[in-house]
Amino acid sequence: MDQPNLAESVKPATSAGTSRRVFAIARNAFREAVRDRVLYNLVVFVLLLIAGAIFLGEISAGQEAKIIVDLGLSAILLFGVFIAIFVGVGLVYKEIERRTLYAMLSKPIGRGEFLLGKYLGLCLTLLVNVAIMGVGLSLALVYVRRGWDPLAVRIWPAIFLIYIELVILTAVAMLFSAFSSPALSALLAFFVFVIGHFSADLKTLATSMDSAPSRWVFAGLYYLLPNFANYNAITAAAHGQPVDGGAIAAGAGYGLVYVAALLAATTLVFSRRNLK
Amino acid sequence: MKRDLFLILVIVVGLPAAAVLTHWNEGHSRDLRVQYADEQLYMNGPAMKRLTLAFNGLAADWYWIRSLQYVGRKMVAYEDTHTGSLDLNSLSYLDLRVLPSLLRMATTLDPQFLEPYYYGALILPTLNPDEAITLLNQGIAANPGEWRLYQHLGYIYWQRGDYNKASDVYAAGARIPGVPPWMMAISARMKAEGGASQAAREMYTHLAESSGDPTVKQMVNAQLMRLDSLEERDQIRRVLADYTNRSGHCVTSWKEISGTLRTAGLPIDASGSPLDPTNVPYRLVKGGCDVDLDERSELPRR
Repeated sequence: MDQPNLAESVKPATSAGTSRRVFAIARNAFREAVRDRVLYNLVVFVLLLIAGAIFLGEISAGQEAKIIVDLGLSAILLFGVFIAIFVGVGLVYKEIERRTLYAMLSKPIGRGEFLLGKYLGLCLTLLVNVAIMGVGLSLALVYVRRGWDPLAVRIWPAIFLIYIELVILTAVAMLFSAFSSPALSALLAFFVFVIGHFSADLKTLATSMDSAPSRWVFAGLYYLLPNFANYNAITAAAHGQPVDGGAIAAGAGYGLVYVAALLAATTLVFSRRNLK
Repeated sequence: MKRDLFLILVIVVGLPAAAVLTHWNEGHSRDLRVQYADEQLYMNGPAMKRLTLAFNGLAADWYWIRSLQYVGRKMVAYEDTHTGSLDLNSLSYLDLRVLPSLLRMATTLDPQFLEPYYYGALILPTLNPDEAITLLNQGIAANPGEWRLYQHLGYIYWQRGDYNKASDVYAAGARIPGVPPWMMAISARMKAEGGASQAAREMYTHLAESSGDPTVKQMVNAQLMRLDSLEERDQIRRVLADYTNRSGHCVTSWKEISGTLRTAGLPIDASGSPLDPTNVPYRLVKGGCDVDLDERSELPRR
């Protein structure tokens, strides 16, 4: 595959120059993910759906469409979480390990541009992954129903929300990888994924505590940690219930703001890191 | 080359050997699935819902399939050791003690999942009507627009003989927009003549019409035949009472009244015995003064 000429993209700091450099790094990160066979998980996903479509009809008492949606969307989320965490924590680490980072940063590329490019490259990988899985799931539904099923379209808002969740998780993984080892970063990112789904409990804890400091701590955690409960529309999608447009817009807005904050924090940490 | 051959040999020998060992192990160890089949669930629904993160829908599907397999395994085990087939009316012979927990778990994980409520409404009343009522009330609370849940709940109250409560539930369901008009009619009928045979026929017919489940239709068919049989037995009892009044003693065989029974429109076999809706002859009981179903009859007793 052609390597984009990074040196060509390197120009004085204008916004057009910055975006060219960021996109060049993003494109490279995407190609690297493809070369690393990250998208091979699609094969497992397809096999899972084929097996589900063939066998679920016999054991689910007429609920195969619901179960296919639950299975498919859960698999999209699970595979996405693994990619976001395990590829996300290695994005920067691998460049340092292979010493390619030094060559890159010797050119007039800012550390922030490098991080943003890497991040966008992984987001693109996730987008392709999620989109292909979504199409596969829609086709599996058409197969299971032996014809057109409105669920094949109604699942897409849920798929979009899953993608936003993965984009946030990728930023979380990158933040940890900016100051920690890959193994510890993966563990911490996974904890954030789990705690992010307990956000309702954090809020309940915050309101039910007797002491004011405890209330502040839990309220602080509730607002500080990503609220992944906002992105859980799998069950609603499986029942064909429409996801509120306002909820989708709010989820996208929250994701954008949260990712911006995480990337800013990652850049701050990474720019202070001694790479010698 | 030599090394490759050796590695291929290890694969070719190793995999079948592993299969043989697995087979041997199955034959020499206790089947834990059987041992723990009736073990109660360790975790309650709300705790499980938290632990499943965003995968609660998938976990609900798993518990739903587990419920079906639990009942299925019990039915197969029963039919392996007994003659005749098992229907919905005789499920109390099975020890389905974990089923309420499994259905509760599935519906707690996914409260909009309607099938476990319907399934519980059909099966639980024969085992534990209170569990069925609790499950359906939870279903109605989570899905207030689902009139079939009201229909099932009303049906359970009707089966218990609580006609006022059944009427109230049908009336509540009838207020949902788009509900078939017979829901209100049934509510009125429950109030006026809940125990009447005609009301029962209507209940069963609507239940069959509103369900796509072949097991429900089979159960309704059996119940409609039971109602036919109850009416036939009332008719036969009247004929038997007339005979006793006229002759001063009960009949000694069906032949003595077969002509009257035939005139009354009842199906009679070659020996003069009246036949139930499954074509099994009724039998004389209490010294020929009363009639009952034959033991061979597959009609539901209740």
